[in-house]
Amino acid sequence: MIPGLNAIVPMACVTAAAIAAMTAEAFRSPGERMPIAGLGLVGLAGAALATVALWNQNASSFGVVTADNFGLFVTMVLVVVGVLSVAISGPTIERQGLPAGEYYALLLFSVAGMMLMATATDLVVIFLALEVLSLAVYVLTGIRRSAATGAEAALKYFLLGSFSSAFFLYGIAFTYGLTGSTRLDRIGSLLAAQSMAPTPLLWLSVGLLLVGFAFKVSAVPFHMWTPDAYEGAPPAVTGFMSTGVKAAAFAAFARVFLSAFEPLRGDWTPVLWAIAASTMILGTVVGMAQSNVKRMLAYSSIAHGGYLLLALMAGNEIGKGAILFYLLAYAVTNLGAFGVIALLDTAERPNDQVRDYAGLWNTHPGLAALMTIFLLSLGGFPPMAGFVAKWYVFSAAVAAGYNGLAIIGVLTSVVSVFFYLRIVVMMYMTPADAPAVFPAVPRLAGAALVVSAILVFYLGILPARLLDLAAASIGTIF
Amino acid sequence: MPFPILSSLVAVPIAGALLLLFIRDDEAHAPLIRLVALVVSVLVFAGTLLLWSLFSPGSAEFQFQERYAWIPSFGISYAVGVDGISLLLLVLTGFLTPLSLLASWHSVHRKTRAFCLLVLLLEAAMMGVFISLDLFLFYVFWDAMLIPMYFLIGIWGYDRRIYAALKFLLYTMAGSVLMLLAILGLAYLHSTATGRYSFDLQQLHQIGIPASLQFWFFLAFTLAFAIKVPLFPFHTWLPDAHVQAPTAGSVILAGVLLKMGTYGLVRFAFPLFPLAASFFAPYLATLAVIGIIYGALVAMVQPDMKKLVAYSSVSHLGFVVLGIAAMNQQGVEGAVYQMLNHGVSTGGLFLIVGMLSERRHTRLIAEFGGIKKVAPHLVAAFLIITLSSIGLPGLNGFVGEFLILLGAFRADPRFAAFAVTGVILSATYMLWMFQRVNYGPITRQENAAMIDLTPREWAVIAPVVAMTVVMGVLPNLFLRPIGPSVERLLGRLDRAVPTRIQAGAPAPPPQAPRAVRTAAEGSAR
Repeated sequence: MIPGLNAIVPMACVTAAAIAAMTAEAFRSPGERMPIAGLGLVGLAGAALATVALWNQNASSFGVVTADNFGLFVTMVLVVVGVLSVAISGPTIERQGLPAGEYYALLLFSVAGMMLMATATDLVVIFLALEVLSLAVYVLTGIRRSAATGAEAALKYFLLGSFSSAFFLYGIAFTYGLTGSTRLDRIGSLLAAQSMAPTPLLWLSVGLLLVGFAFKVSAVPFHMWTPDAYEGAPPAVTGFMSTGVKAAAFAAFARVFLSAFEPLRGDWTPVLWAIAASTMILGTVVGMAQSNVKRMLAYSSIAHGGYLLLALMAGNEIGKGAILFYLLAYAVTNLGAFGVIALLDTAERPNDQVRDYAGLWNTHPGLAALMTIFLLSLGGFPPMAGFVAKWYVFSAAVAAGYNGLAIIGVLTSVVSVFFYLRIVVMMYMTPADAPAVFPAVPRLAGAALVVSAILVFYLGILPARLLDLAAASIGTIF
Repeated sequence: MPFPILSSLVAVPIAGALLLLFIRDDEAHAPLIRLVALVVSVLVFAGTLLLWSLFSPGSAEFQFQERYAWIPSFGISYAVGVDGISLLLLVLTGFLTPLSLLASWHSVHRKTRAFCLLVLLLEAAMMGVFISLDLFLFYVFWDAMLIPMYFLIGIWGYDRRIYAALKFLLYTMAGSVLMLLAILGLAYLHSTATGRYSFDLQQLHQIGIPASLQFWFFLAFTLAFAIKVPLFPFHTWLPDAHVQAPTAGSVILAGVLLKMGTYGLVRFAFPLFPLAASFFAPYLATLAVIGIIYGALVAMVQPDMKKLVAYSSVSHLGFVVLGIAAMNQQGVEGAVYQMLNHGVSTGGLFLIVGMLSERRHTRLIAEFGGIKKVAPHLVAAFLIITLSSIGLPGLNGFVGEFLILLGAFRADPRFAAFAVTGVILSATYMLWMFQRVNYGPITRQENAAMIDLTPREWAVIAPVVAMTVVMGVLPNLFLRPIGPSVERLLGRLDRAVPTRIQAGAPAPPPQAPRAVRTAAEGSAR
């Protein structure tokens, strides 16, 4: 292997799988079944192997992509997201009659973009990665071409997303104008040298980049697209974008703000304080009022973004580790929850109202139990992954002295339990109005959900290994 | 390595719950499921008895300690141990769980497997709460316990079960998340003092906590525990949860879960933050006395037996908190003893009410009357447990209340003076209820055909009646292991707060740990 290219091997594997999926779709005769999902899994497995091999190597390609442990940890999270997404997409594709080749190709391209975003160390490359992943996700959101809600969601997401990309690009331009570089390390050292007198223009460029990131992680007040996009997209896609996009965006967010803009910390923390607080509060409070499960989980995802922002703000050793662990815990939990939603989704009925879950315990006790595990983990109950993740974030906040935000955080997490439990109440304590008709559970998707549930418990009961890995990962760059 | 007896108390119920997953969940297998769950819980009870027999009562130290690194980078360990304060609470938990399973033998007839599974998981979590010596571990069990209880109330409860279950969960959780932050703050404090994180109770005892922080931490811990107890004015979740819960849920809720609040005060809030504790103790005692009288007055006017017993818990737990807040040997010892008494007698009352409502499908006092004529054995058991709840000498309730009042009197006679009215009031509401239910003519036709205790019910209620007598006649059997641990706790409080003038408290040893002394001086300034 050429040493200079090592750092991009993981995304190259995924891209190759995506291209193979596209080609396969092109040569497929109508009606022929092809194991395209298998191709995707092979590519992702390759990416996982490459990630393991690159661990501790600190490889760098072209000077703009660095496979440091931080990036590799996020890459690994993205592999998990990719595998679980592919596994839960099968039933959706089949029942909705979606084009499998296009679907998987887009999903894999998007994963490749996310991996690039997590390891890029140059603002321009981060922007490129952002566009690669966003474009693919826009299309995936609207892939149910016949559904009006899907089209609406995709259009909204696309318009607002391009708007925020413009902000982001503008911020890069200003930063380049001020520092003469787009490389994060050079920006960081330059700013450190002249940090005494930040100019208004510098604030503006930081602000513009902040808007771009805040949009991607759906932080208040840039969250407007989230509920609509999450509701309109097929559930498997929603699960994918709520975890994958969030992981990639937070990785880049942390990299940019905790390395390049670290010298300006005093200037951006007050803004981020307000954003984090309002994100946590709005996500939970509005989440309570939702009657659509996907919308509810969209607001829950906004709130979880708030907790991640809290860890990012804390910015200490614990906080950086907390971001990584939280992303992993959130990925397995949320994908599990959306997996259950995806399995209940049929071509005739989306079954995504809270009401639709009534009596699920009687018809699908297994699915109901899995959903309960995922929801309780989202709510932060021990011994599930969500508890350890939240505990880690709040430790970081307390250690950094953000007691106010920590109090807001724990109280909103109690409030969020209220709406997670609404689904539990429906499943276990409310009889169904009419005998609900839920489709049978396909084997692969069911296995993926069981694996997620096992991971949720593993991360919740024996987190030590992964906590140490996460903590070791952040030592490499910041 | 010695046999990990404490871990087995947590592991056996979990293993039993997993075992249940392998039995088919249908009508035909329901008896097998019940039997397996019962056998497992009896095994656990036997384990607690074995623990008691191996326990050396003269020692105040934590015994049977087990310690394994869990999350080493944060100083979190799986650390468990038992001392005189927690030992008998473990036995109580082991005692009540099989009884509540047995009591639900017929009343729970749908989803039997899930029911038994949740009861066993709940038992594991309760045991875990009482043996944890690591605050992180404690919090995990503390919060994990909410989930099975939530389902028990929400699925098998009465009409307003969903509301009651949610209220129970949200109240408890709202209190405990602030405690979580205080725990994190403590660990952080440990890391600034020593350079590494620790959640270990015994290591946290070694650091000096600044007085100002002690106040906040104490408030956060005490809020969590006060909601659980429940201390007036945080009690509003309790009547709902108790009344709506199925019999097994009520028994465990009243018998064990409420004790976790008072146990938390004794184990964590008071010894960790002695300065704040001695500052807030009079306020706690005031709330406790208000709770005693308020709970008793509200209990008196309840038309529903279950609600009456629920409010009587508010009153009785007020006594426990009063004893703890007295901060002397008699008070705290009495409080620990009263926790056990309340578990036995209120658990017993809920069992009896469950039997009555199973027969009549109502819990309204007015629906009964003259039961003594048709079910004399049931009423005899009812009478003994009622008297034990009132605190008749010779039965268990008397010993605890007497010790608590003695302790309270030594701390401040005014508290004792007001609290003692609670004893009189409890006699009023309990006996009045007993009279209306059991004496007089049979006014309802349905009551005339009521059957007396069945063999299964004998098995449920006889142990409870026996315990009330044993604990009343031989209190020293139970007080012996409690004494040294309480002494040690009070010694800690005295060392930390040298100015505390205590009649009957052991004299403060000359050399207090330096860090603690500095903290004490800090507050004096």
